[in-house]
Amino acid sequence: MKDNYPKAAARFLRDAERAKWHDDTLWMVRQKRDANARSIPEWEQLRHLASQIKTHTLLRLDHYLEQFADSAAANGITVHWAADAVEHNRLVLEILQSAGVKKLVKSKSMLAEECHLNPYLQAAGIEVVESDLGERILQLAGQPPSHIVMPAIHLTRQAVGKLFEEKLHTDPGNSDPTYLTRAARRHLRQHFLTADAAMTGANFCVADSGDVVVCTNEGNADMGVALAPLHVVSAGIEKVIPDAGALAVYTRLLARSATGQPVTAYTTHHRAPRPGCQMHVILVDNGRTDTLANPEHAQTLKCLRCGACMNTCPAYRHAGGYAYSYLIPGPIGMQLGMSRDPRAHAGDIPACSLCYSCNDACPAKVDLADQTYRWRQQLDSMHLASAPKKLISRVLRLLFTSPKLYENVLRLAPLVNRLPRFLVYNRLNAWGRDREMPPFAGESFTRAWKRGKVKASREKSK
Amino acid sequence: MTHKDEILARLRRRAIPDCPMPDVCLEAITYPDKVKQFTETLRLVGGDAVELTPGDDPNRLLRELYPDARVIASNLPGVTIATVNPDDLADPRDLDGVHLAVVAGDFGVAENGAVWITHNTKERALYFIPDYLAILLHRADIVNNMHEAYGRARVSAGFGVFISGPSKTADIEQSLVIGAHGAKGLTVIIL
Ligand code: SF4
Repeated sequence: MKDNYPKAAARFLRDAERAKWHDDTLWMVRQKRDANARSIPEWEQLRHLASQIKTHTLLRLDHYLEQFADSAAANGITVHWAADAVEHNRLVLEILQSAGVKKLVKSKSMLAEECHLNPYLQAAGIEVVESDLGERILQLAGQPPSHIVMPAIHLTRQAVGKLFEEKLHTDPGNSDPTYLTRAARRHLRQHFLTADAAMTGANFCVADSGDVVVCTNEGNADMGVALAPLHVVSAGIEKVIPDAGALAVYTRLLARSATGQPVTAYTTHHRAPRPGCQMHVILVDNGRTDTLANPEHAQTLKCLRCGACMNTCPAYRHAGGYAYSYLIPGPIGMQLGMSRDPRAHAGDIPACSLCYSCNDACPAKVDLADQTYRWRQQLDSMHLASAPKKLISRVLRLLFTSPKLYENVLRLAPLVNRLPRFLVYNRLNAWGRDREMPPFAGESFTRAWKRGKVKASREKSK
Repeated sequence: MTHKDEILARLRRRAIPDCPMPDVCLEAITYPDKVKQFTETLRLVGGDAVELTPGDDPNRLLRELYPDARVIASNLPGVTIATVNPDDLADPRDLDGVHLAVVAGDFGVAENGAVWITHNTKERALYFIPDYLAILLHRADIVNNMHEAYGRARVSAGFGVFISGPSKTADIEQSLVIGAHGAKGLTVIIL
């Protein structure tokens, strides 16, 4: 919703200590990413390749998708195509019902979130168990994720401890992460052993071999697939890459960018169903072909979902994932939300400071900040620009196009320094909220320059 | 039109400028001592690598490393400390409760401590369900980086996995916990 960002961010910032922790923690992840990237001399070359391969693949996506579908089918996998979320959910339910599935264990899938799959399956009487620890915590708490890689980053260990105390009957007051993780391991192990089907997303679908590649640290996707007789994969059509050579590039970038690890603990290639078992892959469009047809925003589809753009974004780190209106937050979430529904998500666009840090961190070189800039240019024609900002822009245009007026105003500006506080720090001045304004200089640079007060000092810079 | 044809037709309206498939040929990182690099990286990600001294018995070493393991699963002929042959079990769920699995790795990757494992046992659950995992790896089978790795990785029986260290999570306050759903510890025995 428009204008919700500042309010939601203010809510997050009310707990100042927690907000600082959030900022510091994500910055630490960003620094780990930096250290890892620096340990690979060819890092920038890899990013360049990653971007080019994705661009090439997207350009010929019809070819590569068909190739993937044919290879997978030849390996014994049943391939389905879904035009949208409704179609996707219906297909999943049909597959599950025809196999008589009562309990499904799921590993993390942003696509399933995008399609709102869980409530749909639950309404049809299927028990859905999230198996990624963060996702399970959120499922038990009834909350959406606030980060795509660290979904429960907004919760304190105490909050998780309390939740587990109630739902998993852990010891009261114990919020030690190791203790809680072990409790979750035992609890989810029982679900793995009794599930009738496992569902995973796909990090990559390799066209020439038909491999579905899933990267996790917990091993939850593997546990699910290795034990249940049915494996259902949901994959956005942009997950297809040509071959193993391309995969080498992406597996080198993904975990280093995401968490600062050299690779995820498990990089699993699912090429065929286990003997006597079934494997289905659903290839989902749900708006992706529209994004691809839009020259200004098509690059969004290069995204690997590593989350690096969130960790590096000063707005995301300070405001938290819930400030964003789309279910995926941060720089990439802004693009995904806007390409889906600009009216619903335009409120997040002004939050960006255009520092371009996201562009630099992105392993696939998605032009995130450029896209945000382009959306800004369009807000007015879409009647989504904020009224006060439009007024400010108009005044500034007047000033900047009349040098005389500009100079006079500048000469008077230092008077602001002597105004009573309430005239400067009030609701009308957003810049004065939560911070002290810098004082205006007694004399403008132009005047000082003209009066010969500015010296180009060669000596100093030596 | 089927959904497949519909999606493919829509894809042909793409807006991205032409870009040929780049040549993935770059001078990727190499290491003067691959075994050392592999070992260091593996330790960094919470695992360990131990070199077997020539003439020593891997069974003795495994016993020393895992003195408390009672249920040991392996289908490798030389692993005499095994108490269960996983290939004899009717259902992968029967592997729940295995303390230690001993498996063979195809090759290791120095840059990230990962070991490529293909399907050489009846149920792939063997690689994920035990409390601890030990992987036997020949020292000659360590490559520098993922480019070399994918030049070599073969999938057999529809499955292959790179495993880099034990399973882990940091989902509670970004505090690292080793042992999420898969192995709580992992040792690569370098032969
Ligand atoms: S846009 Fe780039 S940095 Fe952001 S999640 Fe996607 S791949 Fe990662």
